[in-house]
Amino acid sequence: MSSAQIEIQLIASVVAIACAIPGTFLVLRKMAMISDAISHSILPGIVIGFFITQDLNSPLLIFLAALTGIITVVLVEYIQKTGLVKEDTAIGLVFPTLFSIGVILIAKNANDVHLDVDAVLLGELAFAPFDRLLIAGADVGPKALWVIGSILIISVILLIAFFKELKVSTFDKGLAASLGFSPAIIHYGLMGVSSITTVGAFDAVGAILVVALMIAPAATAYLLTTNLKHMLIYAICFGVFSAISGYWLAHSLDASIAGSITTMLGLLFLAVYLFAPTKGVIAVMYREKQQRTEVSLLTFLLHLRNHTEERERHVNHLNEHINWQKVRSKTVLDLALKNNMIKFDKNIVSLTEKGNNFTSQAIDYIITNEDSKIEHMKEDFFLFRG
Amino acid sequence: MDVTEYIKLVFTDYTLRTITLGTAILGAVCGMLGSFAVLRKQSLLGDAISHAALPGITIAFLITGAKDSNILLLGALLSGLVGTFWIRGIISKTHLKSDTALGLILSLFFGFGMLLLTFIQKQPNANQAGLDKYLFGQAATLVESDVWLMAIVTSICLFVLLLFWKEFKILLFDADYTKTLGFNTKFIDILITTFIVLAIVLGLQTVGVVLMSAMLLAPAAAARQWTNRLGTMVIIAALFGAFSGVFGTAISASQNNLSTGPVIVIVAGFFVLISFIFSPSRGLLFKQIRFIKNRRDLQLHKTLSFMYHIAETHEDITHPHTIKILNNFQGYTKGTLQKLADKHYVTLSDGNWSLTEEGFKTASNLYNQQNDNNE
Repeated sequence: MSSAQIEIQLIASVVAIACAIPGTFLVLRKMAMISDAISHSILPGIVIGFFITQDLNSPLLIFLAALTGIITVVLVEYIQKTGLVKEDTAIGLVFPTLFSIGVILIAKNANDVHLDVDAVLLGELAFAPFDRLLIAGADVGPKALWVIGSILIISVILLIAFFKELKVSTFDKGLAASLGFSPAIIHYGLMGVSSITTVGAFDAVGAILVVALMIAPAATAYLLTTNLKHMLIYAICFGVFSAISGYWLAHSLDASIAGSITTMLGLLFLAVYLFAPTKGVIAVMYREKQQRTEVSLLTFLLHLRNHTEERERHVNHLNEHINWQKVRSKTVLDLALKNNMIKFDKNIVSLTEKGNNFTSQAIDYIITNEDSKIEHMKEDFFLFRG
Repeated sequence: MDVTEYIKLVFTDYTLRTITLGTAILGAVCGMLGSFAVLRKQSLLGDAISHAALPGITIAFLITGAKDSNILLLGALLSGLVGTFWIRGIISKTHLKSDTALGLILSLFFGFGMLLLTFIQKQPNANQAGLDKYLFGQAATLVESDVWLMAIVTSICLFVLLLFWKEFKILLFDADYTKTLGFNTKFIDILITTFIVLAIVLGLQTVGVVLMSAMLLAPAAAARQWTNRLGTMVIIAALFGAFSGVFGTAISASQNNLSTGPVIVIVAGFFVLISFIFSPSRGLLFKQIRFIKNRRDLQLHKTLSFMYHIAETHEDITHPHTIKILNNFQGYTKGTLQKLADKHYVTLSDGNWSLTEEGFKTASNLYNQQNDNNE
């Protein structure tokens, strides 16, 4: 590995960490699309900043662009408040318009500007190590690393200082307000940090990857845990893992690093989406199937309880009476037998004592809907865990 | 270049005619279908789908190796649909919310598309040049066959829209009721979503991935302000869309260095702004005017009722009082007093006012609901 390669991976990882922190809160606050809007609408801010400073990494440019991000949020909220359109429409109207203004500004001044839309939108991480920061003539590393590094340090400090406030206001706005934290300050603070991170990172990785790095690790982590601290840590790990593995994918395919990192994030999300232990699609489908079987079991037990006639309790009759397919009735019967709830007597099914008790409790639960009555049943059955 | 000259040029110049026609048709179909997207609260779906179409374009190119725009659009359509249904899967199967699902699919698909695009660009295939026009769109690359394709798709959309109008409408406003009536809601839902995806894919070549969502939303959001009827809204949105296309093309053609896509979006945004401000029933301007008028009426009523309570204590209701006693009353200004005099509720004579019979009657009925003679 050459030093440039190490530096690229370092920058990518730092960007991933810096994005994962605000991203987690955006996902939890249902504002993920705001990050998409910000990442597009900072374009005019960047262009104007660039006209003034002629330097993509100058703090003034970052400040101006972040300001545009906050203006976007304010505009979206204002339009939404007029009640003329819904929030999502407001987002969808504001950012393409601002982005268009940015594109036109670039196009009109194409001759004087060393900036094109592709670069802003897609970024090029491979060139980041060539733009060095010189302090008193000494090479102290790539500029992008310093920019995003300082942004990361600031957001970590803010995160630690305001963790409690952020947590409360994210999960319970009303409680936060009544405890005396202003939700508005926290909201705009978060928006400010998101904007600054987006601007700081876009130069290295492009606007789209910023969105991916904010949302995807947080969403993936959210499928695995419901603890905020764990979610933050998972998100950071996923981000860094994708950043480094994405770099090597790009290296072997000779393709865009930003694209590869996003692809790795996508694969990671896909894997977790499918296989997450409790919230993955497969687990959810399995649970839904179990629940269906258990509902059938309950129906079946109730049926047995309500009918004393032998005709109604004959095995062959069950199929036509409760109208189950063959496979299903077999699963249900097996489940009931395994739990010692029914017994067979010459093809006549009857409830055991345990089955009888269970049915009474289940009826009690259905009628009263009290959780305490079924505490002990939760062990065996998915149905009552809902 | 003046306007008549430009219009003449539109009819004679092949390129300009094609582009104008293409963007107009595109605007119309986007406005039509966008109305449904906006009303179904799926505004940002357009943004997600347009980004999700990119891998489809690149995969179609990788498979065929040719740059036939129809095949590329087919690929875009397929991957757009995959994206849409994955978004639904995420929302219905996990506890992730719709905004997260949209943002995820948008960025992940687009990133994957970028990976493939850069991979293709490194390949020794001369054909690949110009694939990236789908990113930002280039109306200038439209040719007559593209316009024909748009026209055909638009007429199919129109036909299906008219055929299933009742079903679309009822699903839009009351999905549960639709289900109880026995309609196959899933089918109608998939049908309308597919058409929205189709419209987005059509626009990719012209306005590009990033700005496509505005193309879908802006005409519909503008049209929403002028009417409360779905049919009218769809028509107005189509008109707004078509005009954005025509004007946008005209502006970008008359200036150097202006790409068509962003200009069309800004024109559409301008329509939205105008509609937000000047729409008669919902617009901000008239809302403010109504607000001010109501406040004035209220002040007038307050003054009148204050006078009534004073006059009540006298046997002769027209007994004059000095204007000074009104001074510490909040609703009173010279203007309101004059207005009351104009309505013949009070008579003024050198520093005194007195209620008239009519004024007394009105004031006593002021808070009486039966009196429908409101100011």
